[in-house]
Amino acid sequence: MAQLFRPGANTVARTVMVAIIAVPILAIVLTFALWESPYATSQFVTQNQPVPFSHEHHVGRLGLDCRYCHTGVEQAAFAGLPPTHTCMTCHSQIWTTAAMLEPVRQSLAQNQPIRWVRVNRVPDYVYFDHSIHVAKGVGCTTCHGPIGRMPLTYRGEPLTMGWCLSCHRHPGSFVRPRDQVFNPDWQVPEDQDRAGAALVRQYMIDTSGLTDCSRCHR
Amino acid sequence: MNRTPAELHTNRRRALQLLSSSLAIALTRCGEPREEIVPYVEMPERLVPGIPVRYATALPMAGYGRGVLGITIDGRPIKLEGNPRDEFGGGGTDIFAESAVLSLYDPDRSRIPIKDGIVASWEQFSGEWANGPGAGTANGGAGMALVTGRITSPTMLAGITALKMRYPELRQYRYEAAHDDAPRLGAQRAFGRNLDVIPHLGQADVIVVLDADPLGPGPNFLHNANEFSLRRNSQQPQRIHVAESGLTLMGAMADRRIAVRPQRIAQIARALASGFGVNTGAPGLSPSETAFVQTAAADLKQAGRGLILAGETQSGSVHALAHFLNSQLHAPVDLLNPADPEEQNHAASFSAFLRDVESGQIRSLIILDANPVYDSADSRQLAKAIAAIPFSVHCGCYANETADACRWHLPLSHPLESWGDLKSPGGATLLMQPLIRTLYDTRSSAELLNLLTMAAPMGARDLVRANWMPSGGSDFEQWWRQSLTAGVVPNSAPAPVSATAAMPSFETVQDPPQGVTLSLVPSPSVWDGRYANNAWLQECPAPFTKEVWGNAVQLSPEDAARIGVGFGDAIILRRGYSEIEAVAAVLKGQPQGAARAFLGQGRWRAGDIGNGIGVRMTALCPTGLERQIDGISIRAGGKTGLIHTTQYHTKLEGRDEDIFPLAASAQIASRLAQLKPDTGGIVPPLPADPYAWAMVIDNNLCIGCNACVIACQAENNVAVVGPDEVDLGRDMHWLRVDVYELDEADGLRRGFQPVPCMHCETAPCEPVCPVAASVHDHEGLNVQVYNRCIGTRFCESNCPYKVRRFNFFGYSRGQEYGNLGQPPVRAQHNPNVSVRGRGVMEKCTYCVQRISAARKNAEKEDRLIRDGEVKPACAVACPTHAIQFGNRNDANSAVAQLQHDPRHFSLLAHLDTRPRTTYLAKVWNPPAGQTG
Repeated sequence: MAQLFRPGANTVARTVMVAIIAVPILAIVLTFALWESPYATSQFVTQNQPVPFSHEHHVGRLGLDCRYCHTGVEQAAFAGLPPTHTCMTCHSQIWTTAAMLEPVRQSLAQNQPIRWVRVNRVPDYVYFDHSIHVAKGVGCTTCHGPIGRMPLTYRGEPLTMGWCLSCHRHPGSFVRPRDQVFNPDWQVPEDQDRAGAALVRQYMIDTSGLTDCSRCHR
Repeated sequence: MNRTPAELHTNRRRALQLLSSSLAIALTRCGEPREEIVPYVEMPERLVPGIPVRYATALPMAGYGRGVLGITIDGRPIKLEGNPRDEFGGGGTDIFAESAVLSLYDPDRSRIPIKDGIVASWEQFSGEWANGPGAGTANGGAGMALVTGRITSPTMLAGITALKMRYPELRQYRYEAAHDDAPRLGAQRAFGRNLDVIPHLGQADVIVVLDADPLGPGPNFLHNANEFSLRRNSQQPQRIHVAESGLTLMGAMADRRIAVRPQRIAQIARALASGFGVNTGAPGLSPSETAFVQTAAADLKQAGRGLILAGETQSGSVHALAHFLNSQLHAPVDLLNPADPEEQNHAASFSAFLRDVESGQIRSLIILDANPVYDSADSRQLAKAIAAIPFSVHCGCYANETADACRWHLPLSHPLESWGDLKSPGGATLLMQPLIRTLYDTRSSAELLNLLTMAAPMGARDLVRANWMPSGGSDFEQWWRQSLTAGVVPNSAPAPVSATAAMPSFETVQDPPQGVTLSLVPSPSVWDGRYANNAWLQECPAPFTKEVWGNAVQLSPEDAARIGVGFGDAIILRRGYSEIEAVAAVLKGQPQGAARAFLGQGRWRAGDIGNGIGVRMTALCPTGLERQIDGISIRAGGKTGLIHTTQYHTKLEGRDEDIFPLAASAQIASRLAQLKPDTGGIVPPLPADPYAWAMVIDNNLCIGCNACVIACQAENNVAVVGPDEVDLGRDMHWLRVDVYELDEADGLRRGFQPVPCMHCETAPCEPVCPVAASVHDHEGLNVQVYNRCIGTRFCESNCPYKVRRFNFFGYSRGQEYGNLGQPPVRAQHNPNVSVRGRGVMEKCTYCVQRISAARKNAEKEDRLIRDGEVKPACAVACPTHAIQFGNRNDANSAVAQLQHDPRHFSLLAHLDTRPRTTYLAKVWNPPAGQTG
């Protein structure tokens, strides 16, 4: 009678036994890794914009203040995108014939807004407010990444709820002095633990309620 | 593509194909929706996207104005609040003001001129007018007629004057379906001329109410409610005697109330007058009526200031008597020259209109924002007569019943889109400014009059400004800006005039005729029918029956037993040859032989929402404007037979201590000391945060007007579910007003209790949620996390207060009632509140978006939120200031103080839920010799 199992059968059996345990675990780990990876969060993805606007050029090199264009950031939930008139304050004087800026000139001439593609987005059930974050020492680059070094704008951070909570749980690790909020080159200092804790006290940030559901969802 | 059953059959190959393709779709990144940001080309000055801006404007209510503040976000009006600078109204709102913002976005509003049912244009109308009736200046506009509602707007009146200058033969008819002819007649008899009589409820020590409802809906409602509450909040007691023919909000507040047939009121008034030395003959009174008159008269004589109020369904002579007694008593009433300058009474004007239309004297008819076809008793006859007129034009926000009969229909702008001016019943002038550009190709009334006058075309803003130019003084622009910002023209309130009331003559009072007397009163939800297409109002429960989507006839239990019907049964009402089918609402406290019904329903061209709801009661009237109809015979039967209500049980069943304690004013302290909740439970108290939000609702101040309910609906994107879902108990109101019978035996008195979420500290809804969707936050709010909710409804089952609401269908998203899913309606939604989807539980949040906004404002200034900085929508709306909200941890806050009031109690306190919403007990001030 021929052998029922061939020599490789033991290997198959061992592999299967390992796989029974490993595959589900790996699947879960992989799912979560994928979930939080830039693939799912759109982090580092640049979008095709009507005008290839460069923050690197305007902010990093020319040193424009964030608030020159994003005027609502200190008052409203929405930081705001500049109206065409804001672009034209400079570009009616310089680069007046640049092909790249044709959509801007068209927008002004035809009184049609420029339709930008949103890069940084939180879901509709998240009531994020720029003004309070700015007021409490959360800098632009903390959430938007190295914006002064982005030739084309991409999402600098994952903007997932877990990422939000990392700061809402430990704001001391992220807050900075108020005069540094709009500084695109601010670096986390060596003594952030001590300095951050001091700032949290100074800003009267009540950390107990920061992770309440009602803080961001209504 | 038609497929045979064999092709539709899924074989193994096809199943595998579907399986693999769905897996492939699932594995491909779903990704986020691509969104665009569209900035302005040129940003309007001072505009910050997302920041709410408030503008003062005014809304018409039966021709009078009331000041409101419109909250707009990114150019969209989303919510209206009372304008505190309109001193007459006192800063609250009513349901009509709150719901106006939904009417603005009503998809059924008419959008374009229509001629003979076909789309036309404004130019076409101007041309036809200029070549047709408008050209008839040679004959002075003979045969031309203008029908309007009550007009108090100075600019409109100037426009009508200009129209009359051009066409001197123009006949004007003015009427309101819910009119005030009886008070006018009374004033004419007592003072010899038309005077508006404005009572000051707060300054009277004793009020005797004769079938009036000063706290019911109407132009004076805000004024009366505000004054009433200020007095009730003070320590000086006031006593209210009410004799009435049906349940009214004022009657619910009464310290002594009797229910009598409306004809008896005149007898009671005369008996009351005879106690003040007026020889009125000796009317025969029943023992209970005699007792009422004796206590009321004794109180009036003792009191510092008495006040007698007569109701609009009563005759002019009762009003004249009331005016006379008031002047004898030096009652706190202001006599004002009427804001409505029209001399003729409403019913007379309406009858004249009917007569002239029938006789064919009218050759060209202009109907400006009125609906005579619906208001007339014989609608079909009037429609036929109007259709026979060669040139007829109807101007209104909706192409309604009258528009159907007219050749032309011209769309009017909504008040929130118009420039204009209005007078409040107190006489002050309010300015209207648009909160949004007109959504459709519409014109305002002032522009329309200008068009008919064929003057040089002018915008409504210019017309208003031109009219006020002479009053503005040297610096008109400054004056204009100041008036516009305040919403009120400064110093425009007239001084009261003085007049002496003559002793009235008396008509012989007839005995009540055979049959039932039907009183027709304006609906507490849709007024005279003009708001019938507003879904919030249709679903707003009537104060006593809690009926929605209908107008049942309120019958006394004795009459109902005689006819053999119960609550919600079909009845047939008959007067002469007119017969209507209706539904009976049997109510304790309704006098035998008297029925009461609301106007304004039974419309057939209201729109998608209002069509075919309820019954048109005016079909029983001789002309349509009668408010009291004798000799009605009622019998059981008829096809209709469904009443939609939101509260099925109004008895306290002996549990008043736990639910609705009522204390005679002398016994408050002792009666309520025992009600203090036992806080010794096993659950530890919540940790102390800077804030512990709490609400205190004063049952003694709640008059059941529902303003809070509609305010909440507007603020929080609360869905309308429609009558069928209401029947299944699925109404979505986050805040409801419960009504209770306070006298088990005769049901004469009622109490109202608004019930929002209690935000219990030991909330029973929380431990039963399997997904932690119902949780507490650090400030004591019981929050519902919509994204976690999987719709088990365990929380709803475990809530002892039944304040949780479940989206059985996509009431707000995808499965809206009627036309509410159409795009314009979405513009009303508050962008700071989530629109809940199907399968999600929701409930009152204490307006967490307002708390959040206040917290951000405070934190930006590195300070704590001040008391009064957070006001939920219900508290802002409440015209009697019955709802207080604040931080309980702040000992100086209004709520913390109220929680030490001896009247303070918790609803169902024995459950130890430790609710954050608590109540102050209702107090009554019984006349001597009567005890609770």
